[in-house]
Amino acid sequence: MTSGESAAERSEPAPGDNTGEGKYVYCIIRLDRSREFGEIGIGGGARVYAVNHNDLAAVVSDTPIVIYDPTRENVLAHEFVNETVMREFTLIPMSFGTVFRSEKDVLALLKSTYQAFTDVLEKMQDKIEFGLKVLWDRDKVVAAVERDNDEIRRLKDEITRNAASSTYFARMQLGRLVEAAMEEASNRYVVDVHDQLKDVSVASRSNKVIGDRMILNAAFLVDRQAEKQFDEKVKSISRQYEDLLNFKYTGPWPPYNFVNIKLKLEKAT
Amino acid sequence: MGLLTNILLAPFLGPIWGTKWTLDKVDRAVREELTDDTPIKEDLMALQLQLEMGEIDDAEYVRREKEIMQRFREVREWREKLGMPTSGGPVRVAEDDETE
Repeated sequence: MTSGESAAERSEPAPGDNTGEGKYVYCIIRLDRSREFGEIGIGGGARVYAVNHNDLAAVVSDTPIVIYDPTRENVLAHEFVNETVMREFTLIPMSFGTVFRSEKDVLALLKSTYQAFTDVLEKMQDKIEFGLKVLWDRDKVVAAVERDNDEIRRLKDEITRNAASSTYFARMQLGRLVEAAMEEASNRYVVDVHDQLKDVSVASRSNKVIGDRMILNAAFLVDRQAEKQFDEKVKSISRQYEDLLNFKYTGPWPPYNFVNIKLKLEKAT
Repeated sequence: MGLLTNILLAPFLGPIWGTKWTLDKVDRAVREELTDDTPIKEDLMALQLQLEMGEIDDAEYVRREKEIMQRFREVREWREKLGMPTSGGPVRVAEDDETE
């Protein structure tokens, strides 16, 4: 294909600039007829609807050809559409910001990836994702570690008793011991959380932790029927650790962390 | 921009032991820093977490989000300039046996 006009405009659409020409794609579902999802789309409430190819559909809204910044407003709009669709459908989420030039290009995606989408939709049938972030209260964990570890307690007492004469070395050693014990405690908590959630989830994935207080940043794939059990389990674990750890529990989400279809897409010129 | 500043200033401040190898290395490191959006994504996630934890208010969030978006755009521009793939913008299904 030869290049027509130049690449995308940046940030906010200029009025009248290709308005409505492109299609923003939120997700892929199984649906063989037309369908409206309401005026909830990205860019200020665009109409969200299905574009069908056989028994597959892309959930889209019309958009100018722009690059969407991942601002909270835009990301929430993207997520809100997927949440709405998810109430009724199993879906494959598209990455944030995926814009096609035309309906024809969306259909080309559905056609060329038909088999992979169908297989994944089958696998993800009635599965939902939950996010679990665990943060620790450092001071409280330090206190717990000092309480439970004889060597640390003894060394600490010694340093406090001989405040004046206690050596730099003793303090260094205490610091090292505490660090190691904290690390060990963190691993123990994480393993325990995973163990307890194993029976109520289908799969889990650990992502990189954010900041220095987070010890676990995981996603769990859960059967819709087991949602209640999963929920109760998370609550019971958070009660078990309520003095030490802070649980941030989100969902249900589409299976963002468990679908990885490499789409062969290129920049449309 | 710590790393970048260090790399850009180092040859002037430090002894000149630079060789071809160092220049290549610097070039690659600068390129990487200019075109890698991973740290920006991490900063954005950290910012979101701060908001969720109630450590910053909405106004502060919006202010810092703006800075982060600007950094995303800069990275995107560099990637475009250097002919690297970018995220965002219109896409289409790649045609199999066509490399342009």
